[in-house]
Amino acid sequence: MSVFTLPQAVKEERLLNELSALVDHHRDRCEPYARILAASGYAGASEISALPWLPVRLFKTLELKSIPDDEVFKVLTSSGTTGDVSRIHLDKAAAAEQQKRLAATVQTVLGPKRLPMLLVDTKAMLKDRRSFSARGAGVLGMSTFGRDHVWALDPDGQVDLAAIRGFLDKHGDAPFLIFGFTFLVWLHLYEVARDNGLDLSNGILIHSGGWKKLIDQAVSPDEFRARLAGVGLTRVHNYYGMVEQIGTIFLEGPDGGALYCPDFADVVIRDPRTWAELPPGEPGLIEVISTLPTSYPGHVLLTEDLGVVHGIDDGAWPGKRFSVLGRLPRAEARGCSDTYREAA
Amino acid sequence: MSIQFRFGAPGDLTAPSDDRLAVGDPRVVDFLGKLARKLLAPALARRHPELGSLGYFLRPAELTRAVEKMRRDDALVFPRGNVFHVPPANVDTIFVYSWALSALAGNHNVVRISSRSAGAADAIFQALHEVDADPVIARTQRMVTYGRDDAITGALSRWADLRVIWGGDAAVEAIREHPLRPSGRDLTFPDRTSWAVLSIPGWRAADPAARRAAALGFANDAYWFDQAACSSPRTVFLVGAGDAEAVRAEFLELLLAAVDQRGWTVDAAMAVEKRVNAYGLAATGAATSVAFPDNRITSLTLTGPDQVPRRWIGAGAFPFARADALIDLVPAMTRQDQTVSHFGFTPAELHEFALALAGRGVDRIVPFGSALTFGAIWDGYDLPAEFTRLTTLHS
Repeated sequence: MSVFTLPQAVKEERLLNELSALVDHHRDRCEPYARILAASGYAGASEISALPWLPVRLFKTLELKSIPDDEVFKVLTSSGTTGDVSRIHLDKAAAAEQQKRLAATVQTVLGPKRLPMLLVDTKAMLKDRRSFSARGAGVLGMSTFGRDHVWALDPDGQVDLAAIRGFLDKHGDAPFLIFGFTFLVWLHLYEVARDNGLDLSNGILIHSGGWKKLIDQAVSPDEFRARLAGVGLTRVHNYYGMVEQIGTIFLEGPDGGALYCPDFADVVIRDPRTWAELPPGEPGLIEVISTLPTSYPGHVLLTEDLGVVHGIDDGAWPGKRFSVLGRLPRAEARGCSDTYREAA
Repeated sequence: MSIQFRFGAPGDLTAPSDDRLAVGDPRVVDFLGKLARKLLAPALARRHPELGSLGYFLRPAELTRAVEKMRRDDALVFPRGNVFHVPPANVDTIFVYSWALSALAGNHNVVRISSRSAGAADAIFQALHEVDADPVIARTQRMVTYGRDDAITGALSRWADLRVIWGGDAAVEAIREHPLRPSGRDLTFPDRTSWAVLSIPGWRAADPAARRAAALGFANDAYWFDQAACSSPRTVFLVGAGDAEAVRAEFLELLLAAVDQRGWTVDAAMAVEKRVNAYGLAATGAATSVAFPDNRITSLTLTGPDQVPRRWIGAGAFPFARADALIDLVPAMTRQDQTVSHFGFTPAELHEFALALAGRGVDRIVPFGSALTFGAIWDGYDLPAEFTRLTTLHS
């Protein structure tokens, strides 16, 4: 079972219909969204890239939802760099659907059965309210796809070698799932496995999180992959996702090197000067598109991440192949105000 | 905690000093005049046009005029004493204006320079160091950078007879946690908002050259500091009878031409920022239309003068609102509002507007192109008077 099946042309035709209907759906149910469409003069889209997009940061400054208050089942939050927090409202149906689609996406590489799971993180992190929203939500969300969970780090954040060895003794000779943030995997799993001769060759690693810390240490995505292969870990899948489109993750293909869009999602790379769609090979801002957001108008979002499409229908899976290149630096005003924030 | 001396003699900032300067002290006038010449050097002014304006402000003739304004018939005028300045980080030239006036008044000054200052500020420091100055200047005029250090801020606050706080409400509140000596005073520059008013009949009456000049002046006002200086115009009020849509369209077209001519650009993050804010105003019902004719210009139609945003919404983001007459804007103006830049109004209309405001809001009413021109009267303060103290003598 794969959710990476549709060639780009087929996908675009399907998505355009579904998303155009979603635009109408949200316009009818979310007044602030309707006002934005009216003010910007939206009158229908004849292609995916012409769909009206919202800046993702809008979910930090506005309450945007398409369901009545009494149908709100769950409010997801994300911590932001500025202290602002996105608030994403889900009803029961949307919450169930996003979990189902997330499961279908990861099962593409994990298979249908729950695997024993090694979490490259510390359980203590779940108790820390500040780091909980971003890291904790990721870990909790992914942990439902595994069983017999073992934490690779102790409550102080130190590597728990005994726990890792115990996990491998018990589960190491059949497929198992490893999940963690990219930097933690590098620091607390790769280096530990290398130094202690651990055999991770039956592991399937799913990892996420920015590359910045690794790039600072001069570790490229290619090198990350190559070095993990050195400890036997060859089934490695990075992913890109965000709380504003929970349930949709863009997953690295089996051959590595690029992320792919599931059948219900797509990306458009935009020129931040002209806002036009950029062709493969030209980097710009990433717009993420998904049919899953039905309870809030988050179906077409402009992120503040830079990315590039490498090719279309020419990789291990059909559709667009792309990479995330990093974050757009925040705009800073020169002004008379806001000057004392750092001062004193 | 270390103090980095950016200008002036290193040493104890709050130690008593035997140096005395007079109001309009010739050693200060000489120093500032030489500084002006350096800032007005064509190569430098080309690279940082705001330094050209600063240099102009510091020309000897201007300095002499400023000193004359400090003199009075009814009292003897002396320096206020020790002045501690906390200027904004991001408007690179502001610290020079207030410091220079204070130095001209004969004060001992300590200016806290943000570690984030760069660009034009660096050029200013280079120029300050190149001036051949009387040694008393370095002993009495110091510019320092230090981190978050309450001990230093506290000591300078107790040392100061006058504390000058720029940088908005948050800065004023943070600095005010440090007590002044009982006789000390604060001169504060909190958050401000500034506007532009454009007369529809006045625009129609103006010839094409005057319209182009108006758009160019407005562009300078708005784009020089990314529309974030306290006096940069934000909302544009279209005032009076006539086809407002046509005037707005022509104004935006000329504005874009001016922006093109100056080669100003807007970076990607700023473009996103403007979208976030414009959509936010639409979503809340404050704006009925948002348009992005070019990345450098975001144009919004507000539902009314009561919907004007009072916070910065990005570089080249212009909400437009209609009003039948200038006088109708009076209820929308508050104490937070600083500069109204105008085009196309008669002096009588402007005078009537100012009288109706009656000091409850708006400190400056200036033509397009002059919004950023610093003056000795700023934010409602007579700065030369603030920087001096008076002794009366009846014999």
